[in-house]
Amino acid sequence: MNPVILSKDHLVPLLRKISRSRRLIAPLRNEHGDTIFSEITDLDGAVPDLDNQAQNSLKPFFFPQTEKLSSYIIDRDPVNGALRYSFHAHLPENRPTLYFGVRSCDMFGLMYTDMIFLGGAERDIYYEQRRKNAVFITIGCNHPWKNCFCNATRTGPFLEMGFDLQLTDIGNRFFVEADRAGGMKILRNYPQFFRPVTEEDRRAQFQAALEARGLFRRLVHVDLAVKLLREQEPESLFAELSGRCRDCGGCAFLCPTCTCFNITDRQLDEDGGERIRSWDACTFSGFSLMAGNHNPVDCSTGRIRRRFLHKLKHDTAKHGRPSCVGCGRCVDICFGGVDIVRFINSISALEEENGREENHER
Amino acid sequence: MTNSINELDHAQVILVAGSNTTEAHPQVARRIFHAVDNGAALIVIDPRRTRLADKARIHLQLRPGTDIPLINGMMRCIIDENLIDDLFLSMRTENYFALRDMLLKVDLEETAALTGVPRKLIARAARTYARAQRSTICYCLGVTQHVCGTANVETYANLAMLTGHVEQEFTGVDPLRGQNNVQGACDMGALPAVFPGYQSVADPRIKKKFEQAWGVELPATPGLTLLDMTHNRGAASGSALQKALPRLRAMFVMGENPMLSDPDLHQVEKTLKGLDFLVVSDLFLTETARLADVVLPAASFAEKSGTVTNSERRVQLMHRAIAPIGDSRPDHRIIMSLARRMDFAMDYESPAEIMEEICLLTPIYGGMYHDRLASSHGLQWPCTDRAHAGTPYLHKYSFTRGRGRFVPASHVEPAEPVDADYPLMLITGRRYHHYHTGTMSRLCPTLDREEPRPRLDMHPDDAAALQLRQMDRVRVSSRRGSCEFNLHITPRTPPGTLYCDFHFHEAPTNKLTLATADPTARCPEFKLCAVQVRKGGAG
Repeated sequence: MNPVILSKDHLVPLLRKISRSRRLIAPLRNEHGDTIFSEITDLDGAVPDLDNQAQNSLKPFFFPQTEKLSSYIIDRDPVNGALRYSFHAHLPENRPTLYFGVRSCDMFGLMYTDMIFLGGAERDIYYEQRRKNAVFITIGCNHPWKNCFCNATRTGPFLEMGFDLQLTDIGNRFFVEADRAGGMKILRNYPQFFRPVTEEDRRAQFQAALEARGLFRRLVHVDLAVKLLREQEPESLFAELSGRCRDCGGCAFLCPTCTCFNITDRQLDEDGGERIRSWDACTFSGFSLMAGNHNPVDCSTGRIRRRFLHKLKHDTAKHGRPSCVGCGRCVDICFGGVDIVRFINSISALEEENGREENHER
Repeated sequence: MTNSINELDHAQVILVAGSNTTEAHPQVARRIFHAVDNGAALIVIDPRRTRLADKARIHLQLRPGTDIPLINGMMRCIIDENLIDDLFLSMRTENYFALRDMLLKVDLEETAALTGVPRKLIARAARTYARAQRSTICYCLGVTQHVCGTANVETYANLAMLTGHVEQEFTGVDPLRGQNNVQGACDMGALPAVFPGYQSVADPRIKKKFEQAWGVELPATPGLTLLDMTHNRGAASGSALQKALPRLRAMFVMGENPMLSDPDLHQVEKTLKGLDFLVVSDLFLTETARLADVVLPAASFAEKSGTVTNSERRVQLMHRAIAPIGDSRPDHRIIMSLARRMDFAMDYESPAEIMEEICLLTPIYGGMYHDRLASSHGLQWPCTDRAHAGTPYLHKYSFTRGRGRFVPASHVEPAEPVDADYPLMLITGRRYHHYHTGTMSRLCPTLDREEPRPRLDMHPDDAAALQLRQMDRVRVSSRRGSCEFNLHITPRTPPGTLYCDFHFHEAPTNKLTLATADPTARCPEFKLCAVQVRKGGAG
């Protein structure tokens, strides 16, 4: 489908139309100055914030921090009168939703979690239920934020595929591309909002995309790190950074592609309780703790090893690319200073030093 | 803290005493790590080799409870090498000669023998601390929870004043406060001898000011300290002071769990059970609440609005995120309802209105109106009026009392030295994943999984001598009681010394601790008591 143009004046009216039949989720700046993906119920009172990076990714909307999977009650079998456990699944409601103002990295993150929860032989019904009726309007990043490095992970600042609609800000209008059925349907259902592109629009879009690539403030050698990890694991660096890790799990909780979870049962009263799924993180020592109190990972030196090897080595081997999407969220949240950027830069610096020494020896 | 947490980033020397900062104050530790990255020298004073000590340029691994002789030794070196700040001493302090005379009697060989720290290391630490322009001291409960806690703190203050490392940015003497609002609780007069803002109960003018504002007559004598309340039924071992206490008949406990957190639990239980009436207001049915006649369900942090004051005296606004669940109510609503039942018309529309009264009556909080706090990341007291920008560091031109007074101190023996029957020293403290008596953190499955059971840290040499192995069940006994732990053998704890936490009701550590307290602060010696260890479990 050919790209079209949406005037900025028509954005809110378009969202209003779509939100009649869909829940609208977009980055919203709250009264405390934080931008968070939230539900917008009143477009007159709250307009999506497209100037700041949302603190959360879309992950919690599909894979919530905690969710009730099922509840159980202890009752008597009507036939033989024996005590038994009965389980009842709790499927989330399936509300058609439009996710607006999604950035390329977050869209890419969701494609990754799709692969985890829906890609195998077993599909996760809770995730699938939320995912079914979702439509995404993404927006390319003309001005990457201070911690962004999606250029290095090749997940942005603009997408080639995966979105329903992708917007590019070209001054007083958006350049609109459609990729998947949900987007085409919007273009078909609301043609009055869009006009065809001109040659000038195309040039403006090309220019914006080109300029954006030059505006990244961080130089992060993701490919080099992937290559180095394939050759050798930097044990001393893992130990150094593990010693600094504060074990808060913040990186995994904010990460769009971290999908580990734990399942716990919570007794509510004498007769029953519920089964809860909650986020987990591989940096926790309890993550690998085994019966008999044996732990295959010495967390004082290996806490962060699992995380970075998973993101950069194992996922590259398995899926052909690292599972870091370069959103930079873990950089600001990590107060131990052991975020992925620091790791990649440290391993790159080690290599540089080694290279220098080798040259020196020669 | 005399200074701000952010200033740590730019200190040249950071002396950390009695603080397991990485575990207890990770947000402070992050600044220390950052400073060390930028070349700052870190001096750690701790009997245990903590993770912070791994980063230290100098780790003074002193024998527990010997802070005073150690710091006196450092000060002696500073005098010997003439690294004192003469100008600061003459302009800003008094009683220096008393300190000097005492220090001149210090024998550094004796200091080394008493503290277990080599003389050379003491001298190196002294030089490092004194020579830098920007040296700062952070201390925590390892300094204060001793029979000589007050003298310990005074000694660290002596060190800072001797070298002039106060009154400016990146210096100071900084106690790290343990909870998000323990500073605020003290500031608001949750201490027996002061009204809000440390205004003395004994001062008739202050008393009159509060009487006018509240329209009631107020007592002119200080109340009881926590320890004197929870140990109110003078035990056989209790001091004469304790026996002379007025007998308590009723108590109202808010958000505190003395049945796990106070020393010598047997005495606490006796006191609480001996009351005519006990009311506990808490989120969950704690060990203390189980003994109560009435339990009031309190709202959690997420269900109430108001302010909290952190270590660096920063008052921050806290917003309600969800409506109170069930019958729970925010604390101020509970207090207001009780007051009205007692025929006192306490009626505030909102926490903001309460804050207006605080501003009116508490000079150091004079400008802390909610609207000002909302538009900033909080303000640091003293903040005396609306125009005041707050105070990042204290004592700029003068100390609160005028001149800083040196209070020389000498070594105080632990209240309960080790002997043949109880040959090991037990230090109590915290673990990273749990908070206080675990009433909240142990209900969080992820946190509880990280630290699921009470453990006792022991040096490999002691474990070998006792023929104990990793994860053995061990029974620890003191003269007052005993409880069981899982053994965690680690070289981070020095030989002869044990370490455990008090987060677990399964192992109520405070059955072991003793209630002997600092005479001034009445803070008990949580950090030291003599114990023995036996193999526990079924056998």
